Amino acid sequence: MFTQFGTTAENFSSKASTMVFRIGTDAHLYDDPDDVSISPLLDSKFDSEKCEALKRLLALIAQGLDVSNYFPQVVKNVASQSLEVKKLVYLYLLHYAERRPNEALLSINIFQRDLGDQNPLVRAWALRTMAGIRLHMISPLVLVAVRKCARDPSVYVRKCAANALPKLHDLRLEENATAIIEIIGILLNDNSPGVVGATAAAFASVCPNNLTLIGRNYNRLCEILPDVEEWGQIILIGILLRYVIARYGLAKESIMASLLTNISDNEKTGSESDTDFLEIKRTNEIGIQERELVAIVSRSYLAGQDKYLSHQNNSDGISSEHISSRFTSSKNDENVKILLQCTSPLLWSRNSAVVLAAAGVHWIMAPVEDISKIVKPLLFLLRSSEASTYVVLCNIQVFAKVMPSLFGPNINDFFISSSDAYQVKTLKLEILSSIATDASISVIFQEFQDYVRDPDRRFAADTVAAIGLCAKRNPQVAHTCMEGLLALTSSKYINSTSGSMGDEAVVLIQVIASIKDIIKQDPPSHENAIIFLIRNLDAIKVPMARAMIVWIVGEYNSIGNIMPKMVPVILRFLARGFPFESIEAKYQILNAAVKVLLNTKGGDFHTAKSILCYVIELAKFDLNYDVRDRARVLRKLLSCYFSSNGLEEKTNNNELQLLLAEHIFGEKIKPSTEMINNRFYLPGSLSQIVFHAAMGYDPLPEPCSLTESDMVKGLEGPSQAEGTNSDVDSGSFNEEGSYYSEDSVTTSTGTDKESAANESDNNNTDSLINFSDVGKPQEEANDHSDFMSKGALESWLDDNDNPGSSQNVAGVDNNEKISSARISIGDISTRIKPKIYTLLDPTNGDGLKVVYKYSSEASTISPSLISVDIFFENCSSHQMSKLLLTDEVSELLDQGSSLESQKDGSIFVPMEEITIIEPGQTIKRVIHVHFHHHLLPLKLILWCTDQKHPVKLRPDIGYFVRPITMNLDVFSQKESQLPGMFEYTRSCSFTYHLAELGNDDKDGGVSSTKDSFLIICKSLASKMLSNANLHLVSVNMPVDANLNDASGLCLRFSGEILSNSILCLISVTLDGKCFEPLTASIKINCEETVFGLNLLNRIVNFLGEPPQLTS
Amino acid sequence: MLQCIFLLSDSGEVMLEKQLTGHRVDRSICSWFWDQSLSQPDSFKVLPVIASPTHYLFHIVREGITFLACTQVEMPPLMGIEFLCRVADVLSDYLGGLNEDVIKDNFIIVYELLDEMIDNGFPLTTEPNILRDMIAPPSIVSKMLSVVTGNTSNVSDTLPGATSSSVPWRTTQLKHSNNDVYVNLIEEMDAIINSDGVLVKCEIFGVVEVNSHLSGIPDLTLSFANPSILNDVQFHPCVLFRPWESEKILSFVPPDGLFKLMSYRVKNLRNTPIYVKPQLSSESGTCRLSVMVGIRNDPGKAVDSLLVQFQLPRCVSSANLTANHGTVDILADKTCSWSIGRIPKDRAPQMSGTLVLEEGFEQLHVKPTFQVGFKIMGVALSGLKINKLDLKNLPTPVHKGFRAQTEGGKYEVRS
Repeated sequence: MFTQFGTTAENFSSKASTMVFRIGTDAHLYDDPDDVSISPLLDSKFDSEKCEALKRLLALIAQGLDVSNYFPQVVKNVASQSLEVKKLVYLYLLHYAERRPNEALLSINIFQRDLGDQNPLVRAWALRTMAGIRLHMISPLVLVAVRKCARDPSVYVRKCAANALPKLHDLRLEENATAIIEIIGILLNDNSPGVVGATAAAFASVCPNNLTLIGRNYNRLCEILPDVEEWGQIILIGILLRYVIARYGLAKESIMASLLTNISDNEKTGSESDTDFLEIKRTNEIGIQERELVAIVSRSYLAGQDKYLSHQNNSDGISSEHISSRFTSSKNDENVKILLQCTSPLLWSRNSAVVLAAAGVHWIMAPVEDISKIVKPLLFLLRSSEASTYVVLCNIQVFAKVMPSLFGPNINDFFISSSDAYQVKTLKLEILSSIATDASISVIFQEFQDYVRDPDRRFAADTVAAIGLCAKRNPQVAHTCMEGLLALTSSKYINSTSGSMGDEAVVLIQVIASIKDIIKQDPPSHENAIIFLIRNLDAIKVPMARAMIVWIVGEYNSIGNIMPKMVPVILRFLARGFPFESIEAKYQILNAAVKVLLNTKGGDFHTAKSILCYVIELAKFDLNYDVRDRARVLRKLLSCYFSSNGLEEKTNNNELQLLLAEHIFGEKIKPSTEMINNRFYLPGSLSQIVFHAAMGYDPLPEPCSLTESDMVKGLEGPSQAEGTNSDVDSGSFNEEGSYYSEDSVTTSTGTDKESAANESDNNNTDSLINFSDVGKPQEEANDHSDFMSKGALESWLDDNDNPGSSQNVAGVDNNEKISSARISIGDISTRIKPKIYTLLDPTNGDGLKVVYKYSSEASTISPSLISVDIFFENCSSHQMSKLLLTDEVSELLDQGSSLESQKDGSIFVPMEEITIIEPGQTIKRVIHVHFHHHLLPLKLILWCTDQKHPVKLRPDIGYFVRPITMNLDVFSQKESQLPGMFEYTRSCSFTYHLAELGNDDKDGGVSSTKDSFLIICKSLASKMLSNANLHLVSVNMPVDANLNDASGLCLRFSGEILSNSILCLISVTLDGKCFEPLTASIKINCEETVFGLNLLNRIVNFLGEPPQLTS
Repeated sequence: MLQCIFLLSDSGEVMLEKQLTGHRVDRSICSWFWDQSLSQPDSFKVLPVIASPTHYLFHIVREGITFLACTQVEMPPLMGIEFLCRVADVLSDYLGGLNEDVIKDNFIIVYELLDEMIDNGFPLTTEPNILRDMIAPPSIVSKMLSVVTGNTSNVSDTLPGATSSSVPWRTTQLKHSNNDVYVNLIEEMDAIINSDGVLVKCEIFGVVEVNSHLSGIPDLTLSFANPSILNDVQFHPCVLFRPWESEKILSFVPPDGLFKLMSYRVKNLRNTPIYVKPQLSSESGTCRLSVMVGIRNDPGKAVDSLLVQFQLPRCVSSANLTANHGTVDILADKTCSWSIGRIPKDRAPQMSGTLVLEEGFEQLHVKPTFQVGFKIMGVALSGLKINKLDLKNLPTPVHKGFRAQTEGGKYEVRS
């Protein structure tokens, strides 16, 4: 159809030229990220290969693929010295850490090392990533790190510390809350504007209502505001505004004063102060016309707006005084003045968000006559970027509605250019129609005339609607508007029926609708317009438009002098054409006929009646059932008119019907006031754009809700915060100890475990004393006292998720405390069956079967070695010889350099060679191995008759510890020294005992409760000891246990890590019924974080695995 | 705060995702967005803030690339939009333009930049000078190097000094052998001429661009001869507010290289340098169109790159247009563009021809709007004049240069 269009060809040459530039970029990595195997690259020794592998992984992430299975390998590389590798690893880590918490923990030690690095960039990255992986388990570590970095000499690191706070807060750990707020307090006091900006953001997301923090620094924050980075400015402006309102109240010269004036309107008894009266007068002069709207808007900005609403209706004198006391003066109050002063240069910012935020402050707080200051900057924003234009216009629209005079002189800024987006055009139209005044209306109309002829017909229709709105708001110009609109109806193009005129129909319908609206305002004065429409009725073919005109005829049938005379003629004309009308028009013809009938008296009555009869008759046989139904209803309703006797025999029944008809059709509509959209939100907010309160939207706080006493209360803490600030300036790091102890003094005793944890970091003295003081009254010493252990205490302290609540439990009821008795389960060594792993399967090894188990005996050679018992069994029918296990690495290298290899690889003490093994014979050997990592398997080579079998020795973390004997008291004491971040808990279900309990039943023995407890304990203990090299310290049972309730049963194990002799304490507490699967919650206290967590996982693994049916 | 940023190609493919907070955003939101924007092309694609069923979306489109950011909580929408604009600026600066290929080719740099620019959904470092010191832009040299040695690192080992300086926009310890500073006034003229040929709106949006290559930490002051004509201004963060408030003087420590020192607006101009007079008359299904262009008020310099564009109304089925000067193109989307270039001395350029309307249309009832583009070198049409530029804190003499130019902005002539 449009052959001549589309002549210019696509420019393909550009594509070709970019190919040249792709050389040397990462293009190939993005295009084929997995064309080589990534794993070996990750394990490579070269940074460049690691980089490539990581880049490939990032490419896969970018393309939306899940590559989290590389996590363990990637995590290893976190220790790389190359910053680029580090950066790439961090990018990967942050993407997946939450999904792979266990492996992510492996990186923690490196982060902690990096936090002490010389290079601030390394410190900052480590902090950002560590906080970014968001694991509950490490939150105490992160908190310590943030605390440290908040006093870093580098501004950048401090900034990152501020950014880390919301990440910590996101974990929603109650015990961290006070510490986080405290750090915010410190950082808000920072000298660097960059840090203050970031802290403002943290404040806004962590504790936006803790305005006392702001109060301390208010003046300083105002002064620093212009120097803060633009993003910080946006947030800080909002915070300062909230503070001023909460502390000093609203300004009585501002538009928010409408709340006040409303009140004075209501209580106007002549006694109100002169100043108030002047205020009202002044606001009226300044041009706030729609006072009600202003009041609605100002109310909706505030929290608890209902209070102001109810007040308005009741005019309750007392509370009105209360409200007026909440006002301050923006002219006299220094604090408000400072805020306005420091935000006004920000109106010149290049960042549109800053400008809008600053404008918002002036809009709410500035004296009404000074608000005009925001006009020019706001209008300038319209030219900044297309995307922000829309948002700015949405805000201007509200401003313009409330205060049309504000933008009145700038109408041509809202003139529409054809390149504007449709939404922008409609917004501009609305603004134009709301700021139009008598003086400017002619110019605006001139513009509108151009718009009506715009090729975008939807926009033309909107323009027509805007004309209607203008007329409504300025009744003086109604006639001008009407003339313009009528001219549109008669113009030829709009009515030409041929062609695809859907667009035109939209415009025409809107024209008639606007005319209808204008007539509604003042029907008598528009009689000529109605007549004009009627005359043109023939030319207007669009069904909706026709229907509306018919409605107008029916509605205003008795207006003026000419109409009553014309109406019967028109009706007759319409009735004749009835069958050919559209459905909409048919409805309206029926309605109009009824209305006319109800209105006419005298001679015309019979004409009207006969027309109605005729129309209803026609309608009865209409094709459309709705029309038929309507005809039937009308007939019934108006049956009195159709009865043969006429009106003379009115019965009661008829009266009623008449009344009904009168009510339905006779009621005259009143000019409606404009619907006010009640949903106003703070300027510049997201909610204002989407027209609903977005999650986290907070209206302004209640004026003066922050009292003097709140401020004093808030000031109690900061003496110490300021004390630490001096540390910042001096930049000293080694005062940590004194700092922490100071901290523990100020936080009230026993508020949270967290502070205790930090404390014990440095002084191991008395962190749990608080608890035992509260929780263990002396008079508890009864006959159970022998059996009493701190286990009972711990059993409710274990619940470390919410220490606050457990504290309450302790405080409320000491008597219900669970005390426990000790059980001796005797010797269970016979039951311990260490797990046997297969090293070589007979099928793979030509009939040689090699299995191994970890032995509980410590290695005789070196304490850091683990001894493994290996059993060689010849399952074949022939003899085997020269069996030897060797290290893979040493095999690869020459004998001479094997020493060197042992340094970086694992130390493996070779076993003595087995010269000959007969068929069916089993030979045991012990080897001593040093695993360099407690999760990664050791690759060995098994030699058998000169054949090579590569085998893997899997480490069992349970045997990386050795048992250490201690009694319960020592255990409890040691345990109390390892709280907080050295304590980890996990739960799993334990079902191992069920089989044994079942066996007992089968045996016919009446299993007493004691027995079942014993069996549970035994099975648990043997399971533990079969899988880990530990010492069983004690088994405790709750004294008041129910028959079948194993809850509270607690087993304690102790051990120390082989390599570094660090203590490792394990408590397993059971919960549930004896004959059902139990929940075991395992708690490990260990200084070596990573090891502890891995051990914990291992224990959960083997306890949770289903029991194997042996017999 | 922002939760995630996606970069979409012009075909809706997700090229990159960067999760920012713990609240992971699934990339299915992008396909939702794309489906919606395809189904409601005009109303959806242009709305910068959209409430999707699960997230609030901010987006901007730059050279075909959609930058999409998601959040679930209240935050200033302009902050999100401005940030995306800043990301787009930095990326196009780094990569020398934006398109699908260039982003995919340098995705590592994009990732590294995003990681520096935003932390936990809050902007961290957006200052281009600092970013350049942290992450080296791809250059021909580094590309060649990487081909040869197979080794490349664009991550800097040290923290740029500017992060802790009080002038974060300026790299510390700069040394230039030639100290020079250029000030350009670049103005755009917006005008609306209505169907009666009346100039209803004419204003200038100008930018003071400074290209500075100065050693050390120089202190510059720039003053205008006639600052009173400025209606409103916006400043780069380096401009001090006090001197402007009191004396209308720009006092600043410049960033290195090219930057926008200030933008300004001059309203209510009385004249335009050129005239464009369209005439349309239609009868019985065809419409005669003629457009005349010429110099109205000689600006003193040559008017160059003159271009007149308009959208043919939908009801036009074919068009036959010729010009006595320049070339007339009609593009596939029914945009007619007449590029004139420089106005000849001897005759006034004119385009004329007929538009054939679709069947059923007698007359052309809608009037196209003509958009005019032009360029005048050497003149600032607003009349703004730079008085002087003083430099302090500089050891060596400095070469100073001034330039001006005016372009057509939203210059529209309604018919």
